[in-house]
Amino acid sequence: MRHARHIAVLLAGLLLAWHGIKPVRAQQDNAPGAASLTPPPAYTPRPKGAPPLADTPAEREAIARWKAKAELHLEADRTAYNAQVTPTYNFRYGPRSPFLPGNVQVEGEGFLQPGAYPSAEYCGTCHQEAYSQWRQALHSNAFRTPFYRTSVNLLIRDQTRGIAFARHCDSCHNPIGVLGATLTEDSKVDRAKFDSDGLTCTTCHSVIGLDSTNGNSSIKMGVPSVIVDENGERIPGEVPFEMILRHPERHSAAVMHDFLHKPEFCAACHKANLPAPLNDYKFIRAFTAFDEWQQSKFSQRNPLTFYTAEFASCQGCHMKRNAVTLPDYGAKDGTIVSHRWLAGNTAVPFYYGFNEQLKKTIEFLGSGNYLNVDVFGIKKAGSEKLLAPLGEVPFSLAPSDVVEVWVVIQNKNIGHSLIPEVRDLYEAWVEFTVRDSSGREVYHSGFLQPDGMLDPRAHSFTNRPVTDEGEFVDNHKVWTIHSVAYDNSIPAGRSVLVRYQFPMPAEVNGAVTVTARVNYRHLRQSYLNNVLGADHPAYPVVELASRSRVLKIGENQPEQAQANDNPEWMRWNNLGISLLDQFQYMEAVQAFGEVVKLRPGYADGYTNVGLTEIVWEKFESARKAINRALSIDPSSARAIYYDGLLERRAGNTANEIADFSKVVEMFPESRDARRELGISYYQNNDNSRALEQFQALQKIDPDDLAAHYNLSILYRRMGKPEEAREQQAMFMDKKVDPGAPTYSLNYLRNHPEISEESIPWHIHSDMRTETAGPKNGK
Amino acid sequence: MESDLIPALIPDKVLRCLLALFVLLVFAARSQAKNNCPWMNEATASGLLGGDAVGEFTDVASGRPAACVFTQAGASFTRGLRITVQVTPDTHLHYETAAQACLKTASPLEAIGNEATMCTLDNRSTGLTQLVVGRVRDQLFTITFNTTLKDDPILTRMSLKERAYTAAEQVAGNLF
Repeated sequence: MRHARHIAVLLAGLLLAWHGIKPVRAQQDNAPGAASLTPPPAYTPRPKGAPPLADTPAEREAIARWKAKAELHLEADRTAYNAQVTPTYNFRYGPRSPFLPGNVQVEGEGFLQPGAYPSAEYCGTCHQEAYSQWRQALHSNAFRTPFYRTSVNLLIRDQTRGIAFARHCDSCHNPIGVLGATLTEDSKVDRAKFDSDGLTCTTCHSVIGLDSTNGNSSIKMGVPSVIVDENGERIPGEVPFEMILRHPERHSAAVMHDFLHKPEFCAACHKANLPAPLNDYKFIRAFTAFDEWQQSKFSQRNPLTFYTAEFASCQGCHMKRNAVTLPDYGAKDGTIVSHRWLAGNTAVPFYYGFNEQLKKTIEFLGSGNYLNVDVFGIKKAGSEKLLAPLGEVPFSLAPSDVVEVWVVIQNKNIGHSLIPEVRDLYEAWVEFTVRDSSGREVYHSGFLQPDGMLDPRAHSFTNRPVTDEGEFVDNHKVWTIHSVAYDNSIPAGRSVLVRYQFPMPAEVNGAVTVTARVNYRHLRQSYLNNVLGADHPAYPVVELASRSRVLKIGENQPEQAQANDNPEWMRWNNLGISLLDQFQYMEAVQAFGEVVKLRPGYADGYTNVGLTEIVWEKFESARKAINRALSIDPSSARAIYYDGLLERRAGNTANEIADFSKVVEMFPESRDARRELGISYYQNNDNSRALEQFQALQKIDPDDLAAHYNLSILYRRMGKPEEAREQQAMFMDKKVDPGAPTYSLNYLRNHPEISEESIPWHIHSDMRTETAGPKNGK
Repeated sequence: MESDLIPALIPDKVLRCLLALFVLLVFAARSQAKNNCPWMNEATASGLLGGDAVGEFTDVASGRPAACVFTQAGASFTRGLRITVQVTPDTHLHYETAAQACLKTASPLEAIGNEATMCTLDNRSTGLTQLVVGRVRDQLFTITFNTTLKDDPILTRMSLKERAYTAAEQVAGNLF
């Protein structure tokens, strides 16, 4: 084979020498956003249920001829291309790993020329609706936006790194560039087309396999093809439209793999880590929207969620079907799945002037489906009594009362955390206002300052990555991240309690209105300043959810709930969840106690009491609560799981194993149940069964530390030192650096306003003497 | 594994050496002066100019902006793409001054840098020129396309606008 390859390269070289070496170019030039598509060819779909057309012998022969020619051209081009780009390519990570630190792989030998990808305009001829949506969406702009370029340019210009390291980022943001060997010094490739198109149609639709759920572009890219022949063999490159229109089923077979509908496909890029080859340090989790989804109620893979829901995938929320307004032969019943991928990015459509995308994104964010804001209760200074839930209980207020308002914010229907992914770049925060009856401001937290910066003491759902010097990584130099000083995002399905304290004005009369709203801005102001300088226009701030309550001076009576308010039991439940996450176990048990008072037949209410008491190490009362939950619902996987933990505590190994086995049977993709069952078997010296569980766990979550740790021991015991070493190495790489908290503390010591935010149980108040810290953590 | 199809007549090491020598010779013979343009590579410039272009980069010098000049020379014509970049205080003011070169034909370019404008200048003696003036933070850039052909079949009036937009996106992207 080696000789064959060498000779092919030699022949390709001769071909080049004969024709003269020309710079390698992408397929065609085109001003982004100005593409005018040619009208689609005439097409009458066959009746529903009609069998595919059969080819005549002549047609079969013509297709075979086309395929042979297309393959020959592709291979000749690819060989010539490789001969041209390989000699000067920077194989920073060795000849066998040309795309590291990205995980992307490609079918066949060597690099894949950008010209192999059919253009978006080619696809857009018959899919004009999809094309027009895609052109405004994040995927088509994945590379060219200033917000991305600023980050990746820093990496390229970094003295100790350079363009080869940018393959880590571009594997997702510009895979055609990575696979085409363009991420090297002194590149000889025309970048214009693929830079402008980012993730073009035939990147996603050419993926032929998912390598793992490791992320960092863990895909295998096939040689782009828009049709298969009658034997299912892919024909590379563009083909005449007539060929597709005669055999749309063969077009589908080439471009519509089943995994395109699955969250695992999204995981390829919506999960990322910072590997040692990038940061010369160690594995650091960057973001993992996929795992967050998998642990949410929407995946139906996790028995431990606080609430349940119908199954919903990433595509279910971000690729909803919508009516077509332009010709699109992929439409079914006049609709296609959205190729806008509506989500949180308002900055890109704002920058590009994509008004429709911006409008739809704002509508998506502000739909009111995702969060619940509950002005839950108040405490008055000098009293420990919580007056709650507001609207349900009477209470009185007087001028000069010092009031503490409890706001509970529930991540109700987002399939991932608030905020997901690169949450250091985004800004979601609580704006809390108190106004008297004349509209005068009594208290305000979470305001925007005149320079656009967020009130540094606002409660925000963000994090703070820091360097090994304890400096905030403000400009997204991700390779310098060594620790995360705090992370205040709200995981899917959970809630957070935010407390505000203020005095009622002495002269107040009538009433005050308190409003809590969750605002969102893409991107954080200081990052926008990094990208565009300080003189950029104000970027959109979107209200995700809000709730106001009127607090009368004097007596307040119960009032009618509003349409979007949670029922009372759920309000208490959310309070309990937030208190549990803030380590206020006694109060959490009390809150869950209110849930079971209101819903005595609700098994999960008792399970919530039980699990809190397990964490609190009140095992006897936890046993009672779990028993009660199981008596109500003996098949509750959630209660059985916590029963398993209690059985382990009591030394009842057989029951413990039986419990976890039941949960695994009901939820085979439950990582928690697999982990605990593995530990149970391990402790019971049942190595082979333990191995089975940890291997299964590793398939669900390739980064699970318990799996790495236990597998390394189990493999060693089983005489498999190579596998043991591999698992041990991964455990060491992925385990949090014990020194990392020092970096975080260095940062927090210098930023008291953030330091307070990093404490789960904190209060926002103007009444205390506070050290004014620098703005926004800078 | 050796191929079944190609007899192993030539020893592997010899073949490798021949191949390396061949590749070296081919590329050495056709190599061009190294172009260090930080904002656009030669291949991209060639694509924009419609043929093989040669680039030259001049770093910033006293009072002069840094510049990349790409030239595609034919038997009877020359097409050129010139990029200049300079860091200035009050960049927006400098940008407005530079954009005055467009006279009344300026049209704003959306989503290029912080701000950008473009125009076509038709000069009887120098031919058709497409000019982009733009700003990325405190960096002022200009892009100039020109052709000496009266009716250039490649750099047509219409295509020049698209090419200039693409060039501006490349340059601004690299300046961010």
